[in-house]
Amino acid sequence: MTPRVEVESLAAPFGKSAGLSDISFSVGAGELLVLLGPSGAGKTTLLKTVAGFVTATSGHVRIAERDVTGLPPEKRDAVYLHQSPVLFPHLSVTENVAFPLRVRRVDDNRRRERVAELLAAMQIPELAGRMPRTLSGGQRNRVSLARALAADPMVLLLDEPFSGLDPGLREDVREAIRIVQRTSAPATVVVTHDLDDAAVLADRIGVMINGRLCQIGNPREVLTRPSSQEIATLVGFTNTFAARADGEGNVETAIGKVRVSGGEATGPGTVMFRTDGGRLTRDGEFRGRVIAITTRPGSVTVTLHTAVGDLELAAEYLRLPSPGDEVEFTLHPEHLIFFPAS
Amino acid sequence: MRTSAVPSRSLLLLALLAWTLLPISVLVFSSFGDSWFYPHLLPTNWTTAAWREFVSDRRLLRALLTSLWLALLTGGAASIVGFEIGRRVSRIPVPLRYFAMAAAFVPVAAPPLALGIGLQYFVLRAGLGGTLIGVWLAHSVVAIGYTTVYFIGAFAVFDHRVEEEARSLGASPLVTLARVTLPLHQRQLAEALLLGFLVSWAQVPLTLLIGQGAVESLATSVMSYVHAGQDHLASVAGLLLALPGLVLMGVVGSSIGRFTVATV
Repeated sequence: MTPRVEVESLAAPFGKSAGLSDISFSVGAGELLVLLGPSGAGKTTLLKTVAGFVTATSGHVRIAERDVTGLPPEKRDAVYLHQSPVLFPHLSVTENVAFPLRVRRVDDNRRRERVAELLAAMQIPELAGRMPRTLSGGQRNRVSLARALAADPMVLLLDEPFSGLDPGLREDVREAIRIVQRTSAPATVVVTHDLDDAAVLADRIGVMINGRLCQIGNPREVLTRPSSQEIATLVGFTNTFAARADGEGNVETAIGKVRVSGGEATGPGTVMFRTDGGRLTRDGEFRGRVIAITTRPGSVTVTLHTAVGDLELAAEYLRLPSPGDEVEFTLHPEHLIFFPAS
Repeated sequence: MRTSAVPSRSLLLLALLAWTLLPISVLVFSSFGDSWFYPHLLPTNWTTAAWREFVSDRRLLRALLTSLWLALLTGGAASIVGFEIGRRVSRIPVPLRYFAMAAAFVPVAAPPLALGIGLQYFVLRAGLGGTLIGVWLAHSVVAIGYTTVYFIGAFAVFDHRVEEEARSLGASPLVTLARVTLPLHQRQLAEALLLGFLVSWAQVPLTLLIGQGAVESLATSVMSYVHAGQDHLASVAGLLLALPGLVLMGVVGSSIGRFTVATV
């Protein structure tokens, strides 16, 4: 597949930090790349550099095989949408959506038709005559996406579109993004902090830390096989303990010998796993004392005090122990990753 | 508490009205009154003689027209230049922005007389002393100071993301300015125009210094009539001097755009 957007060895400044450094990736037509990373990792700067609002200090941005690195934003064929939808407050919904068409001097009839098509595609035809100040958050998001589609961009750059949204609205925006992908299949890059959004939407996930794109791959790969401890922490590997690998897939720990993935290495290091990397069971290999039970919508975790430190394990609602109970548990080797000490 | 608050509010309102309207009403009575002596509260005879004299006095009419031109041109220049400087200054990073703001504030803070003495040097060297253009430039320096300070404030709370969004959607900087930034600042532009107009309209020291007596505005005419003891004509000219500001304020207040700062 020919990439719609191709970023090659890109570097750009941001704030007082070192800035983006040696970023390379590509996204194809209709593909959706989610960028994950802690605050200050440079995700927004990367989007703005691709969009043309931040000047790259080195490297290239190519859109549809055209080098756009030195071009202004309006000549890039990439639409950048801010974290919260920014509509033109003096224009109605119809006029907002028509804006990119008017800029391109599309004739009146075609413009009207296209606006109607887009409002229908985004399932908001009833909003046509409304002013932005009268719209709800979800409606604004849809108008903003309809307007972006009116520009018929090669690349769509969405900066934290789910930030600060309640769960209902979040699903609404996810659905709107799916409509966009179905409607005009732009290469889409979405910045988010949320693992659920990333897992649900992404064709691929890229993880940014300190201005670098540290890992990129399909969601299963990135979410289950993080390539570093920092990424593992970021994608939900909350349990961590010290260990020493024997080079045969086993590690020695304070609770005994444990089989792990990536255990080909030898020497000291760290084992990390998610809450679903172990299970409370009556005939488990390891023992611990329950010190806390945390209930969240759809999940419950039990915190155990063990010889390797405190560990959090997912549990079932119907078989919950009580704080203070001594319990046994097992660890699933395929969920445990060993990171050798550097 | 409520019952005592109402009369005190009414008293306050009355005092405010008296404070603002009394000087204007004195001008009205004086311009239409024939004889107005103590202890009478109002003139004993009424006449339109002063107004007829004003209409027949070509010098005064010329001064009125000069003032109108000067004020309109100053207002126009001040709103456009102030808008552009304010827009650009708001994008300058701190602390450089503070220097720019301080520089914009100088013509506002400096007394017009002091400013006029400084400006006179440049205007005379440019051969514009005693000309309408020279006076207009001098008025504009002060007015642009005011409007720049005003627009720096306006752009400090302006959401520049709307401009980025427009650019990203394919609009050039010029189209973004015409279709987004300017429409969103309709009200501020009108207010700046009014501000610039009023700065020029009532300007005496700069007109006298730079105009060197060759440029006579309504405001300088009022001064001449007062000095000459022609109280009735001074009242007519003073009343005319007060009117445009009041009218323009009413127009701007009631009819200019619904939008102030772009944030959705």
